[in-house]
Amino acid sequence: MTASVAPEKRWRLRAPKYALALPSIIWYVTFFVAPIAFVVLYSFGTKDTSQLVPVDLSRLSTTSYVEVFDETFFTVFRATVRIAIIATLLCLLIGLPVAYFAAFKVGERWRAIVLAAVVVPSFTSFLIRTVAWRIPLAPNGTFSKFLQDIGVIGDSGIQILETSLAVQLAIVYNYLGFMILPLYVAFDRIDVRLREASKDLGAGRFATFTSVTLPLAGPGIAAGVLLTFIPMCGDYVTATVLGGAKGNMIGAMIASQFSSAQNWPLGAAMAVLMIGAVLLVLVVGAAVVWLAPWLLVILGPIVQQFRRRRATRLRPQGAAPSRRWGIADSLLHRLLGIWTTLVLIFLFIPVGLVFLHSFNRGNSFTIWSNAVSIKWWGELFDGAVFLQTTLLFGGLVAVAVITQRILKRRSQFGAGYTTWIVPTGFVLALVVNGVLTSWYANLFDFAGIGDAIRNSFIAAFGATVIAVILGGTAGVALARRPGTWSTVFMVLVFLILVTPEIMDAIALATWFPRIQDVPVVGYVFREGWGPFNGGINKLWVGQSLYASAVVTLIVRARLAGLDESLEQAAADLGAPPGRAFRQITLPLIASAMIAGGLLSFALCLDNAVISTLISEAGSTTFPVALLGATRSTIKPFWGVGAISLFVVTMASLWFLVVLLRRGGASAGNIAATLTGN
Amino acid sequence: MTKQLRMLAPESFREHLSRRAFIQGGTAAAGFAVLLTACGSDDAADDAATGGEAATGDYSRVVNKASGSLAMYTWGDYNDPDIVGALAESELGVTMKVDYYPSNEDLITKLAAGAGGSGFDIVVPTGPYVPQMIEKGLIQKLDMSLIPNLGNLDAAYVSQTWDPNNEYSVCKNWGSTGFFYDKTKITRKMETWQDFIDACMNEGSGNCAMIDTAPNLCGMWYWSQGKNWNSQDAADLDACEKFLVDDFAQHIKAFDSYPSTKLAEGAYILSMGWNGDLRQAYTRIADAGGNPEDWVWVLGTPATELWMDTYCVAAGAPNPEAAHAWINWLLVPEISIKDLQYHGYNTGMKSMDSLIAELAPDLQYGDMIFFSPEQVATFQTQEITPTLDRMVDIMNKVKAKAGA
Repeated sequence: MTASVAPEKRWRLRAPKYALALPSIIWYVTFFVAPIAFVVLYSFGTKDTSQLVPVDLSRLSTTSYVEVFDETFFTVFRATVRIAIIATLLCLLIGLPVAYFAAFKVGERWRAIVLAAVVVPSFTSFLIRTVAWRIPLAPNGTFSKFLQDIGVIGDSGIQILETSLAVQLAIVYNYLGFMILPLYVAFDRIDVRLREASKDLGAGRFATFTSVTLPLAGPGIAAGVLLTFIPMCGDYVTATVLGGAKGNMIGAMIASQFSSAQNWPLGAAMAVLMIGAVLLVLVVGAAVVWLAPWLLVILGPIVQQFRRRRATRLRPQGAAPSRRWGIADSLLHRLLGIWTTLVLIFLFIPVGLVFLHSFNRGNSFTIWSNAVSIKWWGELFDGAVFLQTTLLFGGLVAVAVITQRILKRRSQFGAGYTTWIVPTGFVLALVVNGVLTSWYANLFDFAGIGDAIRNSFIAAFGATVIAVILGGTAGVALARRPGTWSTVFMVLVFLILVTPEIMDAIALATWFPRIQDVPVVGYVFREGWGPFNGGINKLWVGQSLYASAVVTLIVRARLAGLDESLEQAAADLGAPPGRAFRQITLPLIASAMIAGGLLSFALCLDNAVISTLISEAGSTTFPVALLGATRSTIKPFWGVGAISLFVVTMASLWFLVVLLRRGGASAGNIAATLTGN
Repeated sequence: MTKQLRMLAPESFREHLSRRAFIQGGTAAAGFAVLLTACGSDDAADDAATGGEAATGDYSRVVNKASGSLAMYTWGDYNDPDIVGALAESELGVTMKVDYYPSNEDLITKLAAGAGGSGFDIVVPTGPYVPQMIEKGLIQKLDMSLIPNLGNLDAAYVSQTWDPNNEYSVCKNWGSTGFFYDKTKITRKMETWQDFIDACMNEGSGNCAMIDTAPNLCGMWYWSQGKNWNSQDAADLDACEKFLVDDFAQHIKAFDSYPSTKLAEGAYILSMGWNGDLRQAYTRIADAGGNPEDWVWVLGTPATELWMDTYCVAAGAPNPEAAHAWINWLLVPEISIKDLQYHGYNTGMKSMDSLIAELAPDLQYGDMIFFSPEQVATFQTQEITPTLDRMVDIMNKVKAKAGA
């Protein structure tokens, strides 16, 4: 017994603490640290457009930094941070009641519906939803005319487009889901008994909320704020689509230095300063949050006294307050319900408009021509191929469903087998169809949208697999083997989250040509391997960075809440580390990895900025193609494409949910794992 | 009622209602003929050479079949979808993959980042950017033996200064810059860039859009002053910066190179724009339930730009054979005119007037595509000079000021 344990222990001692995080470390050093280092180096160069990379590195200077420190940069930066802070607060204010309602006020069934309704819109293309806001806001649009008719607004119509108000609205919209989910999870994990104890001890509804529920939800709020504030600061797509001259954001300014101005040193200097400034804002924010409890402690006695006095005043009235509270309770319940409904409608407005406008007869997506037509669907789907594909697909799925029904009725096999039939039939239908219609490319008739949808899917899928593997291993290492290395590693992860996308994009785009002569690695990015061309491989790398950082945080958070006793027990019982990992740790983090995977899939599917610069002709994804088209007229067939991509995504998610159900996870758990708590 | 009136006195109307005539499909042909004799080709010598008659028989119509897929990186919405889609498939035998970029600099950044491995076959830079792309090795020499239809181009559009022997580039189409406004909101008559600037600062303040490129924004000021935008005079640049940043920026609502859709949405009441895009605005406005006759197109005066976009073959193109076949195919008159009808820019075919009369007699808003020799005489072509950096700098300042 002892003999068999001893070698393992020795092995464990010898392996460095960061061993499990090694894949991530290598990945980040190769595809983040090194490429970004070059961009930081560019910030000290001088502009020279005669070279392929328009930077002259022979004379290093800090001129670009001096140049950044002028009024222009800070004006725009202030505006950006203002938009991001207001939007984060609005997300918090709008999302808090929804999350509270879902966590405490409804049953399991409705909870699942509310959460699904929050998540589902984010699986429609981010870009097309942003563009869709132009429809109700257009001064000549139907909604504007309606408001004019009832006299709410003047003759000039709604004057919101091309202002920072439009950007503000769309940013709140785009990130609301990322706030609601962590909040919900945080509320959901609060022990109801604590809230009940608070009430039993005489605290009012409001006092319970502010001094029990809210502090316990603190980590969830922090997660929500980070997940919304950081990407908002770097976002420039929303501003480009809706903001006009007034909605200029710092991300757009940096991007324009790299592209239209061809001034890479200035762009790089701006990006470096922006990273520093965003980190500073976060540190200040964290300090405020950290100080808040101290403030409460100081104010504590006063508040207590006030409460006690009120409680003694209320007590003599006996049963009366509880009756009053009963009415207030049902009113609160109803109000929360109405609020949640309104928020959900808000989330679905653009999705509905995308669907409606894909049936627009006119030539541009945002302008409704007052006539419904399936012209653009016809334009996009090759009639015969489409019919054949649908029939085949529907047929195969139907056969699977019928088989399952029959088998279930006869109950010859256990439910364990029959539940697998439909998902298997679905996958089979997908694959058979894919083979027959050369992976759905022929399904779409118009200029490569079919290719774009397929590329989006392959790229996002591959990047997600990478992100889950890297994030999973690094997360385990961080939670189980912390040390000096983990501090450095966490800084790196945070840098990845905070670096503006355009900087990553430039870094990677110039990095790939540098490594194209490296054996194997260079070959993979130049020539590709198997059915995947070099461009797809580059997209995997580019999209996996941010996604893997997110998965790392989620897995780490998940494991941090569970002590190591189970793994230790396994080791004590003689399980080698590999086996303990497989049989104990992996099941523990499985839900966090699934959740992280879902989140990264959604993020990768929408990635436009990095993908635009590193994709090649054969690997254009849907957001890349759409971003290119947003500068000119967006045709209604983009709506058709977005809806198609949405349907494909939802179908695969449905498949995943069936799998999870099979694994016994409830809808609440699935949502809970979405944010890794 | 108005219809009757028009039928009673068509002759007197025709002169000043030429645009209206284009809207009405029925009378278009007559009105068009009148206009075209006035416009014609700006190269009289070439007209004489081809006899100036209906000459669709004189064109070369070689179509070199190709195969595989052809990747084109181009400006948004810049080819007839039929040509890129079904026709390329059936007539040329290639499957097109099209991606879009918003500016020449974006094109250059992407190609340079790919370092010859971007996978694109055809790119469409604006003429003055061609030398820079040659220098960086981003485009390759054309094999003229594969482009026999080159002779179909009007002599005015071959051998341009940026590529004297057409070794690297072939004209795709050319256009000019003007502005567009809602005459129910801006009631005065506008004819010059000075009028436009003035309207932007008064009735149109906070409701006007500018083309989102530095040379065009600064160029507008130069043209309004009757100056050449290629002037390297430092005093001019300073004056330009002072005016645009201090006096003009705060009135701008958006920087938008393709304002047609947003004009129809009602987002702007006047906008600077390229002729083809603004021509499409008429259709969009009708789509949106607006009245196209409320909107007026004005070609900028006293001077404005002439730009020409060119087809080039990218360095390292995976399918150069198909790329040449594409360039050659787009020079077949029928294809060229079909494309022209979609994007609304002059494709530079020789004897354009007779070609249009024969192939596209009901073309609408022809006065936004073809310009008279007098108008063409006021056009200036951009040169890439060191002032471009300064213009980009001015643009950034204007943007920051406009957003403040």
